[in-house]
Amino acid sequence: MGKRSIHLETKDAIIKFALLDDILNLARANSLWPMTFGLACCAIEMMSTAMAKFDLARFGAEIFRPSPRQADVMIVSGTVTKKMAPLLVTLYEQMPAPKWVIAMGNCAISGGPFLFEDQYNLVEGVDLLVPVDVYVPGCPPRPEALLEGLLKLEEKLTGKRRFPTPEAKW
Amino acid sequence: MVTDILEKLKTTIGAAEISEVSYEERGYHISVAASKETLHNVIKFFDDRKFYFEDMLCVDYKDYLEVVYFFNNYRFLCRVKVTLKVDPANPHVATMSGIFDGAAWYEREIHEFFGVVFDGHPNMGYLFLHDGIEFYPLRKGKVRIPPEDRERLAYFKVDEQEDAFTVNFGPQHPSTHGVLRVVVKMNGEYVEAAEPVLGYLHRMQEKMGENRGFMQFLPNTSRMDYLGPMSFNAAYVSAVEKLCKISVPERANIIRAITIELNRISSHLLWLGAYLADLGGLTPFLYVFDDREQINDILERITGSRLTYCYMRFGGLYNDVDEKFIEGTRAFIARMYDRLKMYDTLVTKNVIFINRTKGIGILDEEGARKYGFSGPVLRSVGVPYDIRKTEPYAAYGRINFDVPIGKSGDVLDRYMVRVHDMEVSMKIIKQSLDMLSDGPYVAEKVPKKMKPVAGDVYQAAESPRGEVGVYIVSDGTDTPYRMHWRVPSFSNLIIFPYLAPGTLIADAISILGSLDLCIPEIDR
Ligand code: SF4
Repeated sequence: MGKRSIHLETKDAIIKFALLDDILNLARANSLWPMTFGLACCAIEMMSTAMAKFDLARFGAEIFRPSPRQADVMIVSGTVTKKMAPLLVTLYEQMPAPKWVIAMGNCAISGGPFLFEDQYNLVEGVDLLVPVDVYVPGCPPRPEALLEGLLKLEEKLTGKRRFPTPEAKW
Repeated sequence: MVTDILEKLKTTIGAAEISEVSYEERGYHISVAASKETLHNVIKFFDDRKFYFEDMLCVDYKDYLEVVYFFNNYRFLCRVKVTLKVDPANPHVATMSGIFDGAAWYEREIHEFFGVVFDGHPNMGYLFLHDGIEFYPLRKGKVRIPPEDRERLAYFKVDEQEDAFTVNFGPQHPSTHGVLRVVVKMNGEYVEAAEPVLGYLHRMQEKMGENRGFMQFLPNTSRMDYLGPMSFNAAYVSAVEKLCKISVPERANIIRAITIELNRISSHLLWLGAYLADLGGLTPFLYVFDDREQINDILERITGSRLTYCYMRFGGLYNDVDEKFIEGTRAFIARMYDRLKMYDTLVTKNVIFINRTKGIGILDEEGARKYGFSGPVLRSVGVPYDIRKTEPYAAYGRINFDVPIGKSGDVLDRYMVRVHDMEVSMKIIKQSLDMLSDGPYVAEKVPKKMKPVAGDVYQAAESPRGEVGVYIVSDGTDTPYRMHWRVPSFSNLIIFPYLAPGTLIADAISILGSLDLCIPEIDR
């Protein structure tokens, strides 16, 4: 786990149907099902995002599935320890493709506040284990930030941003 | 009472090893330096006098290792520190898990982090660490884990037995509230044995305490218990204030109490939602988050964060409160009374809920003493023990409140105690708001870099889950020499393997949920 490894890009299908793929991607982007998978503090903010005030359901991603076999997004919300690492990889492998990963919080991105010399139990970034699509920084990131991360993922899927960012004209 | 105990101790054990300590400076009353021969008698002495097992840790002083035990009493405040010197070349200590059952897990923890072997211990298997570990993490200097010890890492072996089957519950399971793993041996629908496996979120907090300054460690406290960070903040800053003899202005103390209690309410609310979701009722989850968001908004104004608050500072606070905060808090309290009534009709009077909780997972006071559990779990058995009362920190000494207790110690009682705890918190907040007067919110002339004199200190505080204790050993430099955390969820979880056998799996989940576990706190 020490070195950064390179992951093969496996998400692109070999055979493509231009229009059908576009339609499928649009459908996928609008019904992303995250896995119920909380690791640490960030998970509480992930829960807040799903609740009434921030309402993840507005973007079609409110159906948290406890089983990886029914989920297509893994939101890694918290610190990944060396003891947890093999399990996280198993969970990822159990998810059916196409699948995506959001690294939520500094811990999942790089180890965050727990990175120090002589550390003995930290995976320094979940991208050492599984390919990550979107990084959401913060400790913890605000729910708005996670929503933005989700929109970024949608953008990655469809090539278009659902809500255009207004240009500053002032 | 402390002098009584001291006298009796001197006659039974011998005066040479016993000294009285200033509680104001150190946080404990009596210090006993036991030897291998006397240790058993000393511990038996406190067991006979109905002391409860509070904490256990180890410190590496390079020349020798020191195992430290803390005992305290529910009836009168008398914290005792018992120490035992251990030779690092031959680190063997007799186990005391036969006297105080809760010590079993603490001994396992010390064994894996320091390499001390407890003779006579029923199971020295590793609790926290992963199997790639090479050195004892908390020893000073690199001390290799011997090969025969490494075999203990994979200690959990599923045995073959007809009719019985093993269910791996967690670490990714919605009912474990985080990354806890419990290996459950089942016979049909009934639990035969349950064995928690910890360490999936071990974030090396105690190690970090040793390699950064006092101030730098402060944000870690809020990551340790992200549901009730204010209490952990308070415990830590109070410990350092005690060590460095810093006094806190009145206003800061009152604001501390207000924010701690607001945080307590939000923590209990989250527990309420998550616990009822465990039992199958998903609706309350949405309601509690609505209330939680109100608290988050109030606290965000002054702390700048929604979850992992790092609000307290040595000698005061990071920020003063303003009129809007006070107004917002008052409005929240007024609203919360109505909401509690609603929860009452929604949940407490629900017959399914009562049937799922009444009469299961029963605890008693003797067990509490032996295992050392605390907080609402302890109060549900009818012991009105609350650090806010016995060792008032912040402004609690001047606030008038009752500690809610239960009667039968079952799951329903634990629920009721927490709900009443919220009411008590509201009462405390109201009183504190009335007491709030003008003044500085942070003490003057607090040094930027803390440099306490050499010595140790123990500070306890009441977190939403129970007694949190921080033990700091300082060697006179600007980083702590050793920092140990006594965390409530850890002591509360110890009881689960003893409660679960013989229950239905559905009840076991109900019992596990009723302990209100916060995993990062257990794993540290
Ligand atoms: S990034 Fe911060 S809030 Fe998130 S899990 Fe790590 S420590 Fe906790």
